[in-house]
Amino acid sequence: MHNIANTFMLMLEGTQTTLQIFSITLILSIPLGLLISLARLSPLRLISRLVEIYIWIMRGTPLMLQLLFVYFALPMVGIKLSDLTAALFAFTLNYAAYFAEIFRAGIQSINRGQYEAAKTLGMSYPQTMQRIILPQVIRRVLPPISNETINLVKDTSLIYILAMNDLLRVARTIVQREFDMTPFVIAAVFYLVMTFVLTWLFKLLEAHYGKYEV
Amino acid sequence: MENDIIIQMKNIRKSFAGVPVLKGIDLTVKKSEVLAVIGPSGSGKSTLLRCLNNLETIDDGSIQVKGDYLVQSRQGRAVYADKDTQKKILGYMGMVFQQFNLFPHMTVLDNLLEAPVHVKNMKKAEVLPVAEELLRKISLFDKKDAYPSRLSGGQQQRVAIARALCMAPDIMLFDEPTSALDPELTIGVLNTMRQLAQEHMTMIVVTHEMGFAHDVANNVIFMADGGIVEQGDSQQFFGNPKEERTKLFLHSMLK
Repeated sequence: MHNIANTFMLMLEGTQTTLQIFSITLILSIPLGLLISLARLSPLRLISRLVEIYIWIMRGTPLMLQLLFVYFALPMVGIKLSDLTAALFAFTLNYAAYFAEIFRAGIQSINRGQYEAAKTLGMSYPQTMQRIILPQVIRRVLPPISNETINLVKDTSLIYILAMNDLLRVARTIVQREFDMTPFVIAAVFYLVMTFVLTWLFKLLEAHYGKYEV
Repeated sequence: MENDIIIQMKNIRKSFAGVPVLKGIDLTVKKSEVLAVIGPSGSGKSTLLRCLNNLETIDDGSIQVKGDYLVQSRQGRAVYADKDTQKKILGYMGMVFQQFNLFPHMTVLDNLLEAPVHVKNMKKAEVLPVAEELLRKISLFDKKDAYPSRLSGGQQQRVAIARALCMAPDIMLFDEPTSALDPELTIGVLNTMRQLAQEHMTMIVVTHEMGFAHDVANNVIFMADGGIVEQGDSQQFFGNPKEERTKLFLHSMLK
């Protein structure tokens, strides 16, 4: 009995690391992704091209490789980051690229008439984006954002290669030490609970932002 | 009716990807005039309206509104006024679109309040009575807290008219305001426009509604292939059209 309680406590600690990476990445990468999408839609070709290349690299290489690169390659050029910072750095840059493409699709899906109506009413571009376009974009991008967010919960398990004790690594350590599969089952349940809560949260958000629809 | 000119467009030229859509249009609108612009689709009538309020830029020609130049012709090229002047001139005009283009995430009332509060920086308490009065006028006061998706097309278009009016424009531009509506829903919109005309609003109406053009407009312009084929006061235009092309078009519309 003592053993199970102990396992459970260790795994809760691992969950804390998982949630830490998850929440900080989310908080940083969503606004960053929005900015990147606006740059991607910039009429200045140079900016839009550069952003395109950035997105290509981030989506075109494994997140694991990006983690390793930040962790091992950056110190060689004199940039030394702590484990946590390195992980957050790689995760944020990677997820921002995906979020940027989601926001871009959302922004481009808004009818041109909305921009024209705002323009004929005298609204500036920032006002149009902030007050007219983005509130409608949020509603449309919630389902794909929810998808990516759930992916992020599970992707956090990649930090085991940086020797950080997240939920999955803790579970694996205990399994290897005790020859008992229970920690894997517990880990699965923990992940399911986290994704369940997220799914429910996004459902609330969709209802909130969708209240103007029939 | 006062006789002063409020809009003067001269030699407006505009091409889309090398294809000319406006071939040197001249147009004068007097204060309180209701001008109907008719013509087959693709004649350039909507483009003309969109050039007037800067949704499209012209290649050559000049546009003057209330004495201010939005754009002037210099050596065969259109030169636009600075941003501040443009903004001021565009503020003279309200626009109503074929597809209404209400802001779907805002209630009817918020659609009306949005621009006065955030563009003109008026206090909400200041605009509220104006907006509510406008909604009463279009008989949609009871819908003020509804979202546009809850309204019929005709109701949405009336709200769109009220939204433009809430900015207190001198001129109202209508781009085929009833073309997206079922026939039975056009009546309310046309009545709202008729009422505006009676209040001496200056209006340019691109339309297929011959009845409206005949009854409400003072003057009519018939466009085809990027040019003006015929223009005149509406009684003369409909009663005794001169050009063969006009006759054919009117005949086809009345069928």
